[in-house]
Amino acid sequence: MKLQDYLRFRRIKNKTFAKLLNISPVSLSRYISGERFPEKEILIKIHNLTEGLVSPNDFCLQDEKNYDFNENQEIELKKFHQHILSGSRKHLGKAITLIESSREKDQIISEKLLELFKGNDKSIRIGITGVPGVGKSTFIESFGMKLIRKGFKVAVLAVDPSSRFSGGSILGDKTRMEKLSVNKNAFIRPSPSSGHLGGVAKRTSESILCLEEAGFNIIFVETMGVGQAETEVYDMVDIFLVLLLPAGGDELQGIKKGIIEMADLIIVNKADGELKKSAEITQREYKNAIHIIDKSRISQDIGVVICSSLNQCGFDNVWKYILKFIDIRKKNNDFINERNSQKINRMWGLVDLKVKGFVKNISSRKFVEELLKDVKKNNLSVYRAVKMISNYIIKK
Amino acid sequence: MSKINIKDWINSAEKELKEKKLEELFWETPEGIKVKPLYTEDDIKQLNHEIGLPGLPPYTRGPRATMYANRPWTIRQYAGFSTAEESNKFYKEGLKNGVMGLSVAFDLATHRGYDSDHQRVVADVGNAGVAIDSVEDMNKLFDGIPLEKMSVSMTMNGAVIPVLACFIASGLNQGCPIEKLTGTIQNDILKEFMVRNTFIFPPEPSMRIVADIIEFTSKKMPKFNSISISGYHMQEAGANQVQELAYTLADGKEYLEAALKRGLDIDDFAPRLSFFWSIGMNFFMEIAKMRAARFMWSEIVKKFNPKNSRSLALRTHCQTSGVSLMEQDAYNNIVRTTVEAMAAVLGGTQSLHTNSFDEALALPTNFSARIARNTQLILSEETGITNVIDPLAGSYYLESLTSSMVVEANKLISEIDDVGGMVKAIEMGIPKMRIEESSAKRQAKVDSEEQIIVGVNKYKPTEKQDINILSIDNDKVRKKQISALNELKKSRDNKIVDKYINKVEEVAKGNGNLLEICIEAAKNFCTVGEMTGAMEKVFGRHTLSSKTISGVYGKNVKSNEKISSINTHIQNFIDRKGRRPRMLVVKMGQDGHDRGAKLIATAFADLGFDIDVGPLFQTPDEAAKQAIENDVHIIGVSTLAAGHKTLVPLLIKALKNNDADGIKVICGGVIPPQDYSDLYKLGVSKVFGPGTNIPEAAIEIMDIL
Repeated sequence: MKLQDYLRFRRIKNKTFAKLLNISPVSLSRYISGERFPEKEILIKIHNLTEGLVSPNDFCLQDEKNYDFNENQEIELKKFHQHILSGSRKHLGKAITLIESSREKDQIISEKLLELFKGNDKSIRIGITGVPGVGKSTFIESFGMKLIRKGFKVAVLAVDPSSRFSGGSILGDKTRMEKLSVNKNAFIRPSPSSGHLGGVAKRTSESILCLEEAGFNIIFVETMGVGQAETEVYDMVDIFLVLLLPAGGDELQGIKKGIIEMADLIIVNKADGELKKSAEITQREYKNAIHIIDKSRISQDIGVVICSSLNQCGFDNVWKYILKFIDIRKKNNDFINERNSQKINRMWGLVDLKVKGFVKNISSRKFVEELLKDVKKNNLSVYRAVKMISNYIIKK
Repeated sequence: MSKINIKDWINSAEKELKEKKLEELFWETPEGIKVKPLYTEDDIKQLNHEIGLPGLPPYTRGPRATMYANRPWTIRQYAGFSTAEESNKFYKEGLKNGVMGLSVAFDLATHRGYDSDHQRVVADVGNAGVAIDSVEDMNKLFDGIPLEKMSVSMTMNGAVIPVLACFIASGLNQGCPIEKLTGTIQNDILKEFMVRNTFIFPPEPSMRIVADIIEFTSKKMPKFNSISISGYHMQEAGANQVQELAYTLADGKEYLEAALKRGLDIDDFAPRLSFFWSIGMNFFMEIAKMRAARFMWSEIVKKFNPKNSRSLALRTHCQTSGVSLMEQDAYNNIVRTTVEAMAAVLGGTQSLHTNSFDEALALPTNFSARIARNTQLILSEETGITNVIDPLAGSYYLESLTSSMVVEANKLISEIDDVGGMVKAIEMGIPKMRIEESSAKRQAKVDSEEQIIVGVNKYKPTEKQDINILSIDNDKVRKKQISALNELKKSRDNKIVDKYINKVEEVAKGNGNLLEICIEAAKNFCTVGEMTGAMEKVFGRHTLSSKTISGVYGKNVKSNEKISSINTHIQNFIDRKGRRPRMLVVKMGQDGHDRGAKLIATAFADLGFDIDVGPLFQTPDEAAKQAIENDVHIIGVSTLAAGHKTLVPLLIKALKNNDADGIKVICGGVIPPQDYSDLYKLGVSKVFGPGTNIPEAAIEIMDIL
């Protein structure tokens, strides 16, 4: 750990620490800035005083990129933040681009920006999933407009699949959210699933923070309803809605896939016209089956409501359920506890990403290449190679 | 000498081919029909259709017994020029020069049921046709043209009730009895949901409107064609000939059923249904399509047990293909149109529109319109084609091809039947998806030079030709319309207007006939927008939820140097910017033709761009908002209907107002070359015309960024 980070982490003043080391504060600041290199005794003292967290290596190795901003950049950043607070769509849009960017410089700026955020727990983060064609976007369009009429500011994040062949993508959600997309109290941002290391979806929780900073208090996160994205999204929202199609008589959809287990609310969508009857049957079937499902977030039974975007019905029930759900969880502190643990999970997720990036980086080093040759030739065991590489990483 | 047979031919063919194999001469059409290099009598021994005789069931050889031998097809040129006065002048000029029937093109605002003063149609008034706000505009349109004698065809689907009502009211004003009005109203709403997007209400009330019109005309206007079931726009949107054939007949079936449900007798309306085909460059396939259609339609109608054999006969109008027209080397379009017109005539059309060669650039001028007319006059009066009825019948190739078309089209029709009919299939997006796939496939073949277009991807001209084209001052037209509207609203009795508008709303809620009440409303000077508004209160305005296909273009474009250089360009771009190039493809204004926009979206995504697709009918402010929220690098504006002159400046202004002028703007579509420099001056980075090679454009765009 860098000495400066240690002092911040332990909340120790430079002056106090200089005294402990028996040196002048000026010398200490020179060590910190890297202008001067400490003598051997000082290095040992620092190592001991910091419980080993700051080692001699930390003075040798420079950060790959200068993490610290100069004064002008800090001012620019604060201005950027002010723009977001004052509701500039352009800056909000740019902030999300920075978060999703694969450029290291953009990453640093976005982290600095996120550090300025105060954060609040006033918003409701709603995850939505369901198979393609179930009507997720149309649901968000109608439901979102309803919430805007109630005075909320609604944001929608959606992750669209990138092509495995070309890497490109079609981000077409706004064609299905025609009214919402033009409303001044709404912000819709689809993102391609490829892009940032580990997938853009991993950065969605940061985008949520940007939207909240800009004053949006209902955040929808839409996922495709296939694959692992569901678990990721589940871990960044307060309530998770699963949309189903009316399919009276068919086997229960989604139970096998494990998606239903995540649901905090099941919505049987498209309950209009001829499908109304079968929607009611589906609703009953799920209500009966719900007892066999583990309830992860709430002790009461999971709700099952029917809904029709076409006839504009069922939304009041959905909203009532969400409000009650959030209310119960706020009262027994589950709400805030979960947000905190989500934050920790997010941190570990980012650590994971950093380590992965680091591993990817060193895999092209010359000594690693030589090592791999030895492993292939059986001159070196896999385990010994692991030890050598991880020791190298730890020292760095 | 022993009898010569096919084996002898194979032997001598193989001798001529030397190393080449005979199989290499086989050709597969875009529909997947295998075409052999030679057809013989063996190929017509077992046909899936009946050839028969002209004017008799199943009418494969034509709906009339004497066809052109007695009277050639009707030359009917589709036109509409911004204002009723201008269009009226153009019609009179045409009537003097051999045109026999009128065909009215309406502007986009009218199509979508908006009066000229509506805020969403700032750029649409007078574009792509004539603006009609009330019966007064209709009176000006037909001033000096006796509707008692003149057959009038109207391309109207969305605002079909108020526009037809104004037409009838105008005829009555002239003193023409209602039963003597002749002509055709397109009234084909299903294909609007499929391809053209000029709808207003959701599918269900839209089908009721279709039935209202069929019901009213079958009782009161016996000489009027109540519906023109159109495949034209499908081919324009990229459908292949089998899709055009199958989906159009499936639409027809749906209309039959809607009218029968109304309690009408099949023989009261089936003879008044007409069809409308697009005729492209695939010469024999087009002729086969028209003959197959007549046979298949008679089979379809037969199932409803008509007593009058005329109910089985398919009558059709044809228009040469608009998408086959190219901006590059534009005079070639005259030749293309000629070949297409010949196919339409050999296919036995009842009336024909030939496109003007400059229609890939703008509306026709007097000069280009004259050549288009003359193309038909030459065919009909110089070639002798008209002397013999259905001259290609019995051709080994043509009859075999017709038979294959019947089989392939029936497959698609049963796919539609399986999901419960066309309305259901449209709701599920089946035909739209299939058509978009064909469109992407074709573009990929053109881009990789597998399909040749002379002057575009081969034999490109070295010199630039200057072509004089017509330009329309849309703003002037709009102001004129608005002042006439204000004048009308002052002079009419607004109490009576309110009374009729309320009545229209009531009828929309109940079961009465909407056309009947709207004729009364139109007579009393209710506007198109007011009548539409009253129905909208009850029915709502339909919004389209559409998905864009992906992967089809990528799979069909042949890998070449250009494609691999795109990959390097994109990788460099990601290294520089931290993400892929991101482009918002928008369609602004009331123009619903989204073939171009969809094609660009899917092709660019397949080349590695991240593509945002905007909703149809966006305003410039809405497009700017979306671009800013999604933080795109570039906005691609797709434009066909001359809206660019008004809308692009507004878009650039909206970006500037939001401090987002870093977002670049490019335009593509039908844009007259003389507008290019104006657009560049405004700050547009690049303009692409029809026939642009997409991989080349992708590289140019990345260079701009």
